[in-house]
Amino acid sequence: MRRALAALSWVAGAVALAVLPTTVGPYYTNVFVTFAIFSVFSVSLNLLLGYTGLFSFGHAMFFGAGGYGTALALKHVSGLALLPAVGAGVLASLVLALVLAPIVVRVSGTAFAMLHLAFSQVLYVLALKLRAITGGEDGIGNFPIPPLNIPGVASLPMKDSPQNFYYFAIVLLALSLWLMWFFTKTPFGQVQLAIRENAKRTDYLGFKVPQSKAVIYLVSAAFAGVSGSLYGLFHNLVSADGAFGALVSFAPIINIMIGGIGSFMGPILGTALFLVIEEVTSRFTERVELVIGLIFVFVIMFAPLGVLGTAKMLKQRWLAGRTARDAVQRAA
Amino acid sequence: MDQTTAMYVAQGLHGLAYGMVLFLIAAGLNVIFGMMGVLNLAHASFFMLSAYLGFQFVSITGNFWLALLLAPPATAICGVLMERFLLTKVHAFGHMGELILTLGVAQIILAAVKGIWGTESLPLKMPPILEGRVTFAGLDYPIYRLFIIGLALAILAVMTLLLYKTRLGKIVRAAVSDAGMVNALGINIPLVFMMVFGIGIWMAGVAGVAIAPILTVFPGLADQVGMDAFIVVVTGGFGSLLGAFVVSIIFGLLSSYGVQFFSQFASVLIVGFMAIVLAIRPNGLFGARDA
Amino acid sequence: MNILETRGLFHDFSGLQVLSDVNLQIRDGERHALIGPNGAGKTTLFNVVTGTYAPSRGQVFFKGRDVTGWAPNELSRIGMGRSFQITSTFGRLSAFQNIRLAILSKRGIRFSLFRSVDKMREITRETEAVLDRINLTAERDRAASALSYGKHRALEISLALATDPELVMLDEFAAGMSRDETHYAVDLVRRLTEGKTVVLIEHDMDVVFSLADRITVLHRGEILATGTPTEIRHNQAVKDAYLGDLEV
Repeated sequence: MRRALAALSWVAGAVALAVLPTTVGPYYTNVFVTFAIFSVFSVSLNLLLGYTGLFSFGHAMFFGAGGYGTALALKHVSGLALLPAVGAGVLASLVLALVLAPIVVRVSGTAFAMLHLAFSQVLYVLALKLRAITGGEDGIGNFPIPPLNIPGVASLPMKDSPQNFYYFAIVLLALSLWLMWFFTKTPFGQVQLAIRENAKRTDYLGFKVPQSKAVIYLVSAAFAGVSGSLYGLFHNLVSADGAFGALVSFAPIINIMIGGIGSFMGPILGTALFLVIEEVTSRFTERVELVIGLIFVFVIMFAPLGVLGTAKMLKQRWLAGRTARDAVQRAA
Repeated sequence: MDQTTAMYVAQGLHGLAYGMVLFLIAAGLNVIFGMMGVLNLAHASFFMLSAYLGFQFVSITGNFWLALLLAPPATAICGVLMERFLLTKVHAFGHMGELILTLGVAQIILAAVKGIWGTESLPLKMPPILEGRVTFAGLDYPIYRLFIIGLALAILAVMTLLLYKTRLGKIVRAAVSDAGMVNALGINIPLVFMMVFGIGIWMAGVAGVAIAPILTVFPGLADQVGMDAFIVVVTGGFGSLLGAFVVSIIFGLLSSYGVQFFSQFASVLIVGFMAIVLAIRPNGLFGARDA
Repeated sequence: MNILETRGLFHDFSGLQVLSDVNLQIRDGERHALIGPNGAGKTTLFNVVTGTYAPSRGQVFFKGRDVTGWAPNELSRIGMGRSFQITSTFGRLSAFQNIRLAILSKRGIRFSLFRSVDKMREITRETEAVLDRINLTAERDRAASALSYGKHRALEISLALATDPELVMLDEFAAGMSRDETHYAVDLVRRLTEGKTVVLIEHDMDVVFSLADRITVLHRGEILATGTPTEIRHNQAVKDAYLGDLEV
């Protein structure tokens, strides 16, 4: 019965996604694409943060690498197809992660967070200064966006068709989410959790902790790269601020904190909530820092487990209370 | 000395001055981290807040010295309030909690500063006595920068004395090593934490007022100088005051010579230096403490 | 054959000499207790042998191989297990998940990315078997940190044993237990370590005399004596060091 219900809700969800552009119009379709991109980005960070206990402040590096990788590939390689272009972005992220992995897997805790902040600063500065390559402050814009060629079936233009792009992005992002979900369900996913709980014991049980961290790091970076690449394609622009700026760095952390750090869906819920909060507060104040700051402070002080985490905790308490009440009743 | 040497020395002194300012900020950050394990991401924001408060004091009284005297303690009080009422509540969530909280406070301070004083950059006039230049060994050099170097060294000397010659200093040094043990010995650790936190912020506050006449007061101060100070701490090594000192000076010199010779790429030079150090020693040049 | 041997082992911490010329010999299949007053260097010896850190001087041999300076995970993979005096499990993971990790490592499944772990029946079965042997089947889905102290300790010991090591190093496995819990734990250890070599750090002499085939006494970083329980009981040097309070 449960299985039937679950299957039904998946189908309903798929149908809803399919008809979304035609139902809600272009503005909200674009909002949804942004939501989807940042969901994947946030979930990719949560693989490091929530699942492995590695706090990265500069995850934007991989987001940005994805964007620049794709943009540069499309700009310089004439005739490059769409999927390989996204691939170029993912590759850029992976290369960056491979370069950094040997350093970062040997540190943990605050050092890890700080190293990332430092490195993402490096990249931000490089993106600004290496004008010849990155276009500096203006970034790379108006690069060609090829149509999606499904050999033998169709060629879907992407450039000025928000609807086509929506479908393309959603499929790619949904696939990313599913892959990350599956990743957490593998035996390796258990090693992730073990490292988070007790890295020392994990070592004593025979697991190679630095190498395992490196694998998680690469996977997390790759998916951040996917989201960054799609973001660049979506706006047809990659710039230092848009790719590595503070907001991009903080957004996934906020999303994870609001939604709940201990679950897969938490960051996705958090992304949605934060978008709503942003939308609402932007009518009252321009000071986005104030909103972000207040959210950080309030959430960490009063609801550090996020919405999903707090809900789960409350449910467990209620359940425990009910078991106790039942026991008392039976005893009476 | 001849013209070219004079120019190099001048640049060097510029760098030294900036390095000293960085050190004032980084030192506080480092001691707070070493003792409490808390990386205060709002540290640079307090630095900036003090500059703004200094500007306000000067606007009201017209007296730079009053600003230098009053703004840092005022900022330190804000810092201690944050520590007492907010930071202590999130210890349960470990480092991540503290990072997020201080990050939040940093954003709030930024918003407050923009809201109260606007986004334009504001001037803070240095006192007339420090204007002008002084000539020595054939070099004509602005007095104010020498003042900054002197002020920083004086504070450093006082702090070193406090740390190594007083009972309180001994307690603090012990607490940096093992706060739990010191607590077990009956010493009021929360009070010690609060004091050290306050002094750390005070030092950053002094740096804020001191550098304001040169950099002017603007909302990007925290990010700009803060990032440099943070890089100093990371490169020098968490918890190592010596590392912070050495790297501050290197950075100051790199940034001023860098600007002269590489203009655009000076900042690349600095982050490049950091990247190289971290690649070889991920815990910083002198760092030993594992977070 | 000596399954474990240390030769000329020295270790110091910033000038403080903690181990001096320790030549430990553990025979294949025996249960060997390591005793001595606090600060004698027992845990340091454990740490050096199990790879927590490399010794300042000297060598460690395991199954005839020089493993000096090897990392804990490398030692685990060639058959050495270790438990901790202060319980060190995966707190928020269930008892089932805890044991399963050890089983996965035993089976060499450390980087597997392509299967769903919950669907691996063999693994599940083995994990359940272990849980059954330590009587934790009822609590299999409870978080490790939510277990009662005794059961948490049982999990702790079991983690060290679930990778099926040939040599298991137990650091005060009965730490903090009541009389009854200790009896139960001794029985558990005896059952679970059948056919294995055991080295245990112990303060409780009852435990030592009911489990150990041989005893090594460590005092101020040096081996004072090695021998059977009877020999040790009557050893004058040991008595002097302990002022005769080894009487049981």
